[in-house]
Amino acid sequence: MNLKLFLDQILNGIVLGSMYALFASGLTLIWGTMKMLNFAHGEFYMLGGYALYFALTLLDVPPLVAVLFAIGVTFLVGLIIERLVIHPLLDKPGWEVSPLVATVGISIFLQNFALKAWGERYKNVPYFIDGILDIFGFRIAYQRLLILAVAAMAIGALWWFLKKTRFGMALRATAQDREAGMLIGINTHGIYMMTFGISSALAALAATMLAPIFLINPWMGLSSLLKAFIVAVLGGLGSVEGAILAGIVLGLAESFAVIIFSSEWKDVFSFVILILVLAIRPAGFFGKKEW
Amino acid sequence: MKDIVQNFPAILSSQKVAPFFMGILIFFPVIVQDPYVLNAVILCMMFAVLSSSWNFISGYSGIFTFGHQGFFGIGAYFSALLAMKAGISPWLGLLIGGIVPAVLGFFVGLPCLRLRAAPYIALTTLAFSEIARITCMNLVELTRGDLGLWGIPAFTDIALPGIGSLSFSGGSRISYYYLILAIFIITMVVFHLCLKSPIGLALRSIRDSQEAAESLGINITFYKLLAFMMSAFFAGVMGSFYAHYLLILTPTSVFNVGLMVEIVAITMVGGFGSFWGPVLGAFLLTLGLEYLRFLGEYRFITYGILLLIVILFMPEGLGKKLSRGKEKNKGKVNFVVS
Repeated sequence: MNLKLFLDQILNGIVLGSMYALFASGLTLIWGTMKMLNFAHGEFYMLGGYALYFALTLLDVPPLVAVLFAIGVTFLVGLIIERLVIHPLLDKPGWEVSPLVATVGISIFLQNFALKAWGERYKNVPYFIDGILDIFGFRIAYQRLLILAVAAMAIGALWWFLKKTRFGMALRATAQDREAGMLIGINTHGIYMMTFGISSALAALAATMLAPIFLINPWMGLSSLLKAFIVAVLGGLGSVEGAILAGIVLGLAESFAVIIFSSEWKDVFSFVILILVLAIRPAGFFGKKEW
Repeated sequence: MKDIVQNFPAILSSQKVAPFFMGILIFFPVIVQDPYVLNAVILCMMFAVLSSSWNFISGYSGIFTFGHQGFFGIGAYFSALLAMKAGISPWLGLLIGGIVPAVLGFFVGLPCLRLRAAPYIALTTLAFSEIARITCMNLVELTRGDLGLWGIPAFTDIALPGIGSLSFSGGSRISYYYLILAIFIITMVVFHLCLKSPIGLALRSIRDSQEAAESLGINITFYKLLAFMMSAFFAGVMGSFYAHYLLILTPTSVFNVGLMVEIVAITMVGGFGSFWGPVLGAFLLTLGLEYLRFLGEYRFITYGILLLIVILFMPEGLGKKLSRGKEKNKGKVNFVVS
């Protein structure tokens, strides 16, 4: 393997991994706060993609506005779904399984709704920035640099939000002990709603960044969801730091796996990692004992 | 009349319904020979077996798996390939199509032994079935990948002494009908005997409290793996039946997460953790969607909405709702699950 190919793969891995990190941190955030696995996370990603597409084509707004629009719409959908579906299930027996089944229902509904409403033809969105950066024959598309920058900013913002703001502290307090949180006057239902909204917004952000590279279609959520599961478990379910680290690790592992195995076996490789983590160390990198 | 209406749930859930229902199914093709209707009922029974096998592991043993499509698909592909490449009789394939997934079920069960939270188990089993799907798609020389298999041999004719012979060639629905009915009855009898026996008690005790079960000396490892293997066996047999019934297989038709969603929807609507729930759900949903053709096109949208309605408004499902009615009539409330 020559040096150029090697560096190329490292960069590819990091770009891909930063998106995995962004997407999976929403999933793990919900697990951390509410102890539920959101099977509809992939569909928020899909909705983000479609919202971007319609903002660009129907409303004809500049890309930045379209991205913000997509994030806003998906955030609202997240809030509404939490209020309508997840909220009534809280504090009822069967919380172990009920949100799982409910989100599977939401997922299958949204996926087929998209199929019927917007058709099965793949939608494509132009690159936000064209052109390729060339440093000593080492070529990087600007779009990829943009992805990297946006992911770094979003993750930074999420980290600041969780660690430094009052709301973030309230969220972490609720995650640690819900009853104690209620006792000191935290509106835990509000926190849950916001958690869902933020998680959906993160998924939408990942979708808007990746939409120009992968096309928008009703099924785009499922494959990304499976990736997010792998990343979230590898990092430790519930740990945002873990998801970020695991995202980059998986991105790198996959881009090197393509060299060693062939590309069609790449996903098998990731799923084997998932099963091995669950078998050997279910807590992943930074998870707690909750399995 | 009012009495009948009031006691209707009790009548439905009483022990006499099962033989009555099976009796109807046995004589059904005597009255109706329309291939379209027979096909619909065959599908009902297929889903009844699949959902019951999932209910056995998830509802009764408390191991919430999400990878039944993997066992189904592996059963289908093994049986089809053995018949096509090695010339093994589909009848033997039906058995092998169950045994191979059962063995795999053992190995999928191993990493699940120490996991208790439903989401972790769901992820492990989902990962397994995705590995099976991708492997099936990538082994192009063997499975023709995405193109799928066609020209899978049908079941060979068998002679029934005294009645004549069952012919499976030329799209004869009635023979397939009786074959699936036989598998359906065997499945229900096996699960019934199993759940009435100490095995069933052990499984339920593990579901309700693993610590308590362990302290009473129940071998948790053994029973959990047994539940995995039995459940996988019947899912695999169904896969094999499916392959030799449709005679066409593609990876997306069998290794589809959508299939798992259908199983979950059927079981939840009928009653998660109740014996006849999945059967009730399978007949209601499958026939309902066939009958309401306009909904058939929105099949998965309907499944999605049904799942939400059931989980929000009647988490115990229709089956238990009905038997709860019976208990109320007796003036006491049944708190015992299943």
